[in-house]
Amino acid sequence: MSLHIVVCVKQVPVSNNLKIDPVTKNVMRSSEPGIMNPFDQNAIEAALKMKERYGAKVTLLSMGPKNFEITLRQGLAMGADDAILLSSRAFGGADTLATGYVLSQAIKALGDVHLVFFGRQSIDADTGQVGPIVAEFLNWPQITYISQIYPVDNKSIEAVRLMENMEQSIKVTLPAVFTVRSELNEPRYATPRNIMLSYQKDIQVWDEKKLDVDPNRIGIKGSPTVVRKVWTPKKIVKKSESLGEDPDRAARKLLQILRARNII
Amino acid sequence: MSVVLKEHQQMLHQMAVDFARKEIKPLDMQIDKQQAYPKELWHKIIETGFLGLIVPNEFGGANFDAIAEAQTIFDIACNNASVAFTLEGHYKTVDQVKKYAKDSLKEKYLPQANKRIFGFGSTEPQGGSNIMGHSASAVKEGDYWILNGNKTMITNGGLAEVYLVLLKTAPEELTCFLVDKDMPGFKFGKQEDFFGMRGTPVGEIFLENVKVTDEYMIGKIGQGAEIGDQAHYDARINMGAIAAGICQHALDVVLDYAKQRKAIDKPIIELFSIQNKITEIAIAKENTQLLYEEAAKLKNEGKPYAKVATMAKSYGSRAAFSACDHALQVLGGYGYSKEYPIEHLLRDARALQIAEGSLEKMVIEIAKEVQKEVV
Repeated sequence: MSLHIVVCVKQVPVSNNLKIDPVTKNVMRSSEPGIMNPFDQNAIEAALKMKERYGAKVTLLSMGPKNFEITLRQGLAMGADDAILLSSRAFGGADTLATGYVLSQAIKALGDVHLVFFGRQSIDADTGQVGPIVAEFLNWPQITYISQIYPVDNKSIEAVRLMENMEQSIKVTLPAVFTVRSELNEPRYATPRNIMLSYQKDIQVWDEKKLDVDPNRIGIKGSPTVVRKVWTPKKIVKKSESLGEDPDRAARKLLQILRARNII
Repeated sequence: MSVVLKEHQQMLHQMAVDFARKEIKPLDMQIDKQQAYPKELWHKIIETGFLGLIVPNEFGGANFDAIAEAQTIFDIACNNASVAFTLEGHYKTVDQVKKYAKDSLKEKYLPQANKRIFGFGSTEPQGGSNIMGHSASAVKEGDYWILNGNKTMITNGGLAEVYLVLLKTAPEELTCFLVDKDMPGFKFGKQEDFFGMRGTPVGEIFLENVKVTDEYMIGKIGQGAEIGDQAHYDARINMGAIAAGICQHALDVVLDYAKQRKAIDKPIIELFSIQNKITEIAIAKENTQLLYEEAAKLKNEGKPYAKVATMAKSYGSRAAFSACDHALQVLGGYGYSKEYPIEHLLRDARALQIAEGSLEKMVIEIAKEVQKEVV
């Protein structure tokens, strides 16, 4: 069995000083140096483990400006085979719905995909919506928040979905969409050789002309989400007191304070 | 940093920093105390592909250049100098196989350099830098060379599985050969018990009628001295990187300590006398870095780099020792205690004034090179 696995990755801003577009209220991504969304590293690791076990081609897929290429190269340096960047002004300003639509059309264009991996969510927008949206557009089964994957059995896979207070074991037939948690695995380091080879590979750049997309469902036009306001919540700093470095003295002092306030 | 890293070098740098902080830093004190690497660590280093850093792509390696190599050594040395020192011993040996070995031997051994550690055997019990005073020999008998003698003080000796050795093929003639620990007649000798760089094994090997064909000769007959010198020059760039890494390690410890330690209710970092020492450490690191990066840049450009590489080691080894001495003073009793890493950094730094050519030899070499430049 040889699988074709797509891993969707996102570049997220590295700094805390995000620039927000005053009109769209979106993060201005082209101006920001970025890193790979940490959960997406778990998704790549999951795909690479399958590649090692069953034989698979691992294709990375991302949507964003040209500077997202570096994140795709990081994924190639971990051991992925190919990378495609969906990049066009027409895709700009997309919300999760429009993003999911374009990604799903790209997966359809690839044609022979058995499995799509996502990280559980991105650490900038934190929605966790894009994976499930892609699954719905593709009309494929999905398992989200995966913490464990069982061996592939006759074109079906069972995985454990870890929620706050429960675990679910779900079996799906391929093709399917998985979103993974960091508990699933420890992402490998990029190797020096793969880093070097990743810069010898071409990253394919696909725009709206390459894909069969409805122009009204991409970019800002295709995004029903309206961000009314983005602000940084005020930090409330309460008075704090250091009890010193000596643990015994600190413990005695803490005991006095708690007793004085009738807490204990 | 004087060089601007290219994007792929930057990615390697970031990976090396992540790896070193996560996998090596927590073991720093343990490596010194136990005088050994945990097996698991070397397994990870090999699996992550650090041994193949400068091995050409066609032999399964990463084919990074001298700048990336020195940067990686620095990134690792910032967390533990011994691990960097072991890699330095490996890289300088692999470099000579790349430059001088016959194609058939490269095909056989360079792929192995991605997984097996290499070492360079030059010093003998009777002589170190005076390589013509050596007695280990290679004698031609029919189609074979018969190798005999012993080599000592080999960086990675005992850990490495493949060695380049300099052997006498005539009274005034040194020739370089590759030997493998699995060859009949190859034996390991004693391991040194050094007071610094305690993770790096330094040991002895014996060759007793080891039989090899011409294929195992590195370079030509009589080219051994040149290859030995070349290995030293390549190593000295990385010795500079290790020196700078030790300075950075000391600086990290000092800054952390001086921000927390208080004297009369003020962190001691606010005291001029402490700032003075911090500045000395920072300058030592920066100057050393400028020298080894310049040497690596010259090497990449195919220009002569022996002088600057030797300066990087000569200056860097003294600067690092002095920086650690300053750091120890900042930490006072804690600096002198085995509870903190400074005392082992001081011991590690001291090795740099001896390994890859003594400081005294550096003086002769630099003076000679400088005189050549006088018009």
